[in-house]
Formats: sequence, C-alpha cells, structure tokens
Amino acid sequence: MPTSTDNIILSFQDLDIRFTLRGQVLNAIRGVSLDVFRGESLAIVGESGSGKSVFTKSAMGLLDANGTIAGGHIWYDGKDLTTFRTEKDWLAIRGKEIAMVMQDPMTSLNPLKTVGDQILEAVLLHQDLKGEAAKAASIQALAAVGIDDPERRYKQYPHEFSGGMRQRVVIAIAVACRPKILICDEPTTALDVTIQAQILDLIKNLQKKLDLTTIYITHDLGVVANVADRIAVMYAGDIIEVGRCEEVFYDPKHPYTWALLSSLPQLGVKGQDLYSIQGTPPNLFYEVHGDAFAPRNPQALNIDFVERPPFFEVSPTHKARTWLLDPRAPKVEPPEHIRQLREKGGAIHD
Amino acid sequence: MALFRFKDSKTQDLSESLARETKRQFSQEELFQFAAYDPNAGERGGYSDYSYWRSTLRAFRKNRVAMFFLCVILATLLFTFLEPLLPYDREPNTIYYSEQVQMNLFTRQPILDEAGNPVVKVALAKDMRPGSEFWFGTNAIGQDLWSQIWSGTRNSLFIGFAVACVDALLGILMGVLWGYVRKLDFFFTELYNVFDNVPQTLVAIIISYILRPGMGTMIFAMCLTSWLATARFVRNQVVIIRDRDYNLASRCLGTPTRRIITKNLLPYLVSIITMRMALAIPAAINNEVFLTYISLGVPLETPTLGNLVEAGRKVMSEPLLRYQLFIPVIVLALITISFYIIGNAFADAADPKNHVN
Amino acid sequence: MTEREKLLEVRDLRVTFGNRRHPFTAVDGVSFDVYKGETFGLVGESGSGKTTIGRAIIRVNPVSGGTVSYNGQVISGKVSREVDRQVIQNIQMIFQDPMASLNERAKVDYIVSEGLYNIHKGLSEKERQEKVSRALAAVGLLPEFASRFPHEFSGGQRQRIGIARALIMDPQFIIADEPISALDVSIRAQVLNLMSKLQKERGLTYLFIAHDLSVVRFISDRIGVIYRGKLMELAGSEQLFAHPLHPYTRSLLSAIPMPDPVGERNKQLVVYDPACHGYTESDPPQWTEVEPGHFVRGDRKELDQYRKLLGQ
Repeated sequence: MPTSTDNIILSFQDLDIRFTLRGQVLNAIRGVSLDVFRGESLAIVGESGSGKSVFTKSAMGLLDANGTIAGGHIWYDGKDLTTFRTEKDWLAIRGKEIAMVMQDPMTSLNPLKTVGDQILEAVLLHQDLKGEAAKAASIQALAAVGIDDPERRYKQYPHEFSGGMRQRVVIAIAVACRPKILICDEPTTALDVTIQAQILDLIKNLQKKLDLTTIYITHDLGVVANVADRIAVMYAGDIIEVGRCEEVFYDPKHPYTWALLSSLPQLGVKGQDLYSIQGTPPNLFYEVHGDAFAPRNPQALNIDFVERPPFFEVSPTHKARTWLLDPRAPKVEPPEHIRQLREKGGAIHD
Repeated sequence: MALFRFKDSKTQDLSESLARETKRQFSQEELFQFAAYDPNAGERGGYSDYSYWRSTLRAFRKNRVAMFFLCVILATLLFTFLEPLLPYDREPNTIYYSEQVQMNLFTRQPILDEAGNPVVKVALAKDMRPGSEFWFGTNAIGQDLWSQIWSGTRNSLFIGFAVACVDALLGILMGVLWGYVRKLDFFFTELYNVFDNVPQTLVAIIISYILRPGMGTMIFAMCLTSWLATARFVRNQVVIIRDRDYNLASRCLGTPTRRIITKNLLPYLVSIITMRMALAIPAAINNEVFLTYISLGVPLETPTLGNLVEAGRKVMSEPLLRYQLFIPVIVLALITISFYIIGNAFADAADPKNHVN
Repeated sequence: MTEREKLLEVRDLRVTFGNRRHPFTAVDGVSFDVYKGETFGLVGESGSGKTTIGRAIIRVNPVSGGTVSYNGQVISGKVSREVDRQVIQNIQMIFQDPMASLNERAKVDYIVSEGLYNIHKGLSEKERQEKVSRALAAVGLLPEFASRFPHEFSGGQRQRIGIARALIMDPQFIIADEPISALDVSIRAQVLNLMSKLQKERGLTYLFIAHDLSVVRFISDRIGVIYRGKLMELAGSEQLFAHPLHPYTRSLLSAIPMPDPVGERNKQLVVYDPACHGYTESDPPQWTEVEPGHFVRGDRKELDQYRKLLGQ
C-alpha cells in the first residue's frame, strides 16, 4: 500500500461545502480531509444524505448551483481545484483527468444517439485519433468492457441495451477519455445482483489494465469488500473512519461502522433480529454538535454530545473519529457480528 | 407575517432544544460516562421542513417583475369596482354636453362675438380630447371615456374570469374522467376529435344568431368550445400520474375513484391548472375583442374593451382622435401582459426544481 | 407439511401485456402455494415477472390464465363485490419505492387512515385518530408525525409509513414488493426487523418479493426463484441454500456480496446462460418435485443429475 506523500494524486484538505436551500444554510461537508493515492481503489461509504456524492462531485466542479465550497482545498496535480471558477478551467479536468460513472446508466446516455457515436465523441475529444482509427478504437472500447459483437452493438441505441449492458457502455465512454481517476457513484445500485458483481469485476479489471485510480461511492459496505483497497466511512458530512479494507471490515472502531456492518442482511440469522440502527440520519440544516451519530447510538457518551471527537490513530493507515478510542473512555464491546468478523480476519492475518 | 416566514418554527425548536442539551456542563468524569439514550431522538433528527406551497410562494415572491404585474392586476381589479363610487363620477352611457367654443368650419378659427370674445355654446361633448373635464376625453357620441374604460375593463375581466372558471370546472371534470376512467377514454377521444374540428368562430356566429347578443351569450359561446382543450390538457397530465405507485396503493386500499381523483390526482394538478387559468383569462378577453371586430360582440350599451377598441378603430385614420384607440389598447395590453407574466412566473415557482434557492 | 393450512394458491398463472398483435407474456404458468403464517420469498431479476405476480394476486394486473385462490376461494378474474372487498381487507401491499408510493400532497394522517375510510365507514374522528397513532407507533414512528407531509421524512421513515398504511387494515396477507431494495443498507435492517416483529405479533403471512437472495434468506421460510416469467426452483430456504440445484439459483447465490474482503477476492462468480440447458422438443423441461418440498425445472437428464446431487 503506497502511503508516501508524493504518491497522492488527489487531496482534500479541510473541505467545507455549504448549500443554501430555501434560505437556509446546509453544511453538507464539514471540514473533511482525505488523500487519494495513485493507483488505489478507495471506497467512500455512507447513507444517502451523508454527503458522499457531494464530496466527490466537488472535485469535478459538478456541485449544484446553490452549493459552494466554503473553505479548504482540493489539490490535484499541483493545482487547487477550489480556485477554479469558469467552465473552461473545469473542462481540462472533467472527463480528461477525472471521469465519472453515475448510478443510472439511462440518464448518462443520450437516447437519440447511437452508442457508437457517443463513444466516438469521447475518443475524438481525448485521444489523438481520427477517422477510421477512432472508430476502431471505439469498437475496441466496447469490446474491452465485455460487450459481445461490438461491431453490431456499435450502431445500436441505448434503449436496445439491458441495464447492465448500458452501464458497461457508460464505463466504456468514461474510460475512452483516458482519465487518471475514475469515480463510480453507486455504479451498481440500479442493477440486479448478478449483474452487480459482473460490473464490479469489470471496473476492477479495467483499473488494473489502464492503471486507474478508482473512487467508489456506495451505501452498501457489502458491495465494496471485493473491490476496495481502502475504505472511508462518511456520516453527516464527515469522514468518521478511514482505513485499509481489511482494517475496516475486520477491526472497525467507530460505532457507526459497527452498525453499518452488522446490519447487513447477509449476516442475519433466521429467527433472530438483525442488528439495526435506530432512527434516521440527521438533517444538516442545524448545526451538529459533537459526534453526529450520538443521538442514534444507544451507547453514546456524554462527551459525544458536547465535543466533536478528533481522529484517533489505530494504525498508520487506520484512524477513526470516536471518543471510544480516548484512553479515558469506558470499554465498549462491539456487537457480536463484528467480533465474529474480527475472529475471521484475525485467523487469516496472523 | 407568519405565513411568509420561511425559517420553520419546528426546525428552530429542534435546534434550540439540541443546543440546550449541549450547553449542559459536565465534569471531566461525567464526560466519559454513557449518556441517556432517547430512541425517539434519532427519529426526530431526520426531520426536514419543506412545504410545497410555502416554497412555491417564496419562489414567486422572489420574481420581482411578476410581483409588480400582480400588483398591477390587483390594483386594476380593485379600481374597476371603486371607480363608480368616486365623487363626480360620470355614468358611462350618458351622453354629455359641455360649453364649447364655436369654431368656424372653414377657417378653423374660433368665432368671435362683438366684444372679441369667443362664442361659447352648450353642445354635444363629442370627440373631446383628454383634458381636465373628461380625463380620457369623450367618444364620437359624447360619452365619457374614463368611465367607459373602467366599466369596460370590469366587464371584460368579468368575461375573462367567467370563461376561465367554466373552462376550468368543465375541463378538469371531463379531463380527469377521460384520463383516469379507462372505459371512457374511447368515448371522450372521439368526442374531442369531432368537436375539435368545428371552428370556434363558426360556433360563435351560430350562437349569436340563435341567442340574443349579450354578455351571457358571449360567455356561453366561448365556453362551449374552450373547455375541450383544457380537458385534453388535464387528461394528458392525469395519464402521466395515474399509474404511479401511490395511486396503485390507493386502489389496493379500496379507495373509490371519486376520492382518488380529489385526493390523489387533483392536488398534483393544482399548479398547472392555476397556470392555465391565468392564461385563459387574457385569452378570453382577447377573444372578445375579436368577436366584437367581426360584429358578434355584446351590444354597445355594455362597454367592454372589445367595444372600445372597435370604436377607436373606426376613428383611427383621424390623428387627433387616435386617443380613442390607444387608451383601450394600452389597458388591454397591460392586462394581457400582466396575466401572461404572472402565469409563467407561477409555473416556474410551482416547479419543485426551482425550490432550492 | 400437509397439515399446514394453505392460505394462497396460485395455479398456472399467466399474465400477458400488450395488445393482440404484440403480446408479451410476463408470467408464464407459475404455480405455488403460500401457507398460513409463513414468509414466501420470490426472487428474480428485474423483468422476471415477480412484481407482476404480486400485482396479479392483489387484482391490480388482470390475469390472462390460471387461477389465484385465497382461503380456498378464487379471487382472480371476475369476482363479486363481496370477494373484492375481502381481498382489499385481507391482502395488502408494501411498495418498492417509498419516494413514489406515498401521496405527496396528503398528510401522513390521511395516508395512513385512507383504508379506514373505505372499510370502516362509521368510525368517529377520535377512533380514527387513535388507530392512526397506534399504527404509527407499531412501526416505530412518533404519533406527532401524523400532521406532517411525506416529503418531510427520510426513505426509511416513508417506508414505515407505507407499512403503517397497510397494517391499519388488519390484513392477514401482505405482499411486500421489494420493500427494502430502494433503501439504504443501514435502514434495511430496521425495516426487515419491523416486518418480522409484526409477523410474530399478528401472525401475518408474507409474500416477499426481492432481487437479492441474501435478503430473502434472512426473512423467508420458503423461496421461489423466478427467471423470465417461469419458476426455476422452489424449496425451503435452508434447503435451497444448502443444495441449490438450478444453475440460475447458483448464479444468484454466488453473486451475494459478503462483508469479507479476503473471502470476496477468492470468490468464483457463476454466470447463468439460459442456453446452457440445451432443451429439446422431445424432452421439454418439467416442473418436478425432486425431494419433499423441493421443486426444480429441468429436463429428464437434468432431473436425474439433480437427484444424484441430492443423494450425495
């Protein structure tokens, strides 16, 4: 795992993002710092409304009109992306350097143009190819994402493709721009389980082949176990735990990560209740005091309501924002499923 | 004005109670003890205040131009009713006489008496230009244009509102049945095809021959055909939303069609129907002008903007008398533009996509 | 097994959409029973016809062949007013997308009590409000929410409002059409727990429709796997997970994502290709019971193979 600073490809520093919504200010991202390393695959996991999409969109200049970066920096290739103001600035980054795969393939494809034309457009714009060579490259791109009979498919329209195939096309277009970073925003949520696994496999293989850095955004921890090198868990506009995949799955520290993991239905035992998180994520219209997860945490400490916890380092690659890691805190046992996972992981690692 | 306060009181209360909670002082030991757990707290935290109508109103109020024209329309409407109550008001249909300086028809000079003063005689006050006595002047037979304009505006607005109301009532009722009750679809579609091919002017001509001309006839003639377009419009909207999950849910709960229409369908259509109404009013007023022009309008003793424009049109070639055309046309344009801008601004404001700012 | 009471019987159900020139068969000859008090899981990908089956049972989609009987009484096709009323009272539905299944322009109070207006017409305002409060409390929501509009709630809360709306009818049988697939993973457990709690308390019977086997395994007693309008395999839930026979079932099983990075990286994905069977005219696939309670679709050769597998 590369950790030295010169391997950082994208770096968020103390990022604050605010939205004004109907006259009220919403703190979507509250002072978040995160480094993305070259060639890694990072998963940002969080519930809807946790700010995970907003966070990554800020690196592409895709915030909605009512959103602003209120503080902090985003460093990419020696440039501070937060200083970008015009569309022209962003066009040098968007697609070319950082590309995105959205949740719903139908909305990111133009229904009136053939699939081939849409890929060709990206190839002509971003690769030094013309005419027949560009067309060949486009067909090649279709084949590379696992679409059979690419020559015939090249001439078809998006509605002639199934959901999974459409998502493959979207990936082909994104990759045809030869980006350095590929952001996948819930790439499989709209798809069937069997297709889900295939698409994740595809992205993983492309990453290896093209030397990409990938950032997955998802609400489902289960989905990313297979593909992520590192995992950042987001809650209420803040990253509350970040670590290598094994560390987060086998030895999570934050009560919210515990809850996310143990509530996976895959781990359920018939006849018993699943572990579940009560309540709903907080509304970010009002200021969050202390640990945002505290009101939903049955074992919250008093200090969780008073002061925002700092990051406590568990290992050089693993840190978590929870007062439970403070030496003064009482010992709190994680739920049973977490202990089981820990044993499983421990058995493999030691 | 509590209604216009957008910061919701519920959210505020919540913020304050949370702040109170956090202001509590803890000792160092207490800080790391378990806090009391309230399972309801997590449930309350997700609350977001958003009210469709409040946001629509807010977005509309932000549109300065539309607010201005809304004020114009409201002021006009109010004044058409207040104007007859003003002191020294003139009756619109009365023919007035005034003291006038006699003119020599050939030299176009005032006729002078022996003392060299102009000869003043009381005569029919026709074609008098706007001035201190007749603010908007008089028309060709000596009626006061000021009072004619306001009573005409009142009558025209009445026609507009009446037609729009009947239009909306019939159109919505038929449109919803057409869209939601599948069995009626064929019947209504054929009905629409037949009636839509009959020119509206033709219907108006026939109606005005059969019935006695008047405001009622005019409104009747216009309503007879215009509701079809509204019905079709509503039908298309209903078809879009009729198979949404929440309507299926209502059907699974055994909700009768009547209540699905009033509770599930119409509330979703209120905004677009309001917008259509706002545009139907000026359309009806303009229609009246047109019908008057082809001499199917209401009798002259009922002033309407149509009658006034038509009267002004007849003297259009006389430069000195053009005020008789311009004044009603300006009023007509103002009303039409106001409704148009208000309708469009409302449509924008009612779109939830524009509720973010 | 035989002494258990059949609540719902679906026999050779066929549902066809489209017009006569372009018919599209969404459900083709599906038969299964649902016993009283159990949860029957129906799993398949999008477009497999699973939602259509649910909607055909609750009489939203017309049936073009076969029958559906409830408590021994046929409820499909043309039925009397009385039967229609019984279906409404006894069978309710929970919808997939909580964002689309609530009437945005009505208050929670009306949404939840909508069914009461139709069934218990003589209810006083006070009784009605009390029933609403009780239904909201039963799904873990606060009674004060009744005066709010749906858009003020999160997805999980809205789904629970949808459950409260079904519960207020005191149904015996609930069709849950992918009730959790539109929800965040963190909220899914909440809703699943709620559903099993309600089942225990009220003796409900569920038809649980999903596209994800992992979810169905946790909640279902028996599972039917459906592919392109036809049932492929039907078995008790543990039976199915222990001995998946049909290749499609196996591909579904292999796709379940597990929160175990090491295990996941070594996992082999099974991809199902319907052409792999090589069915012929002379030996068409049959719906056969290969062991008690375990049905699978296959031709003679496959069935022999399956029996051999089970014998091991």
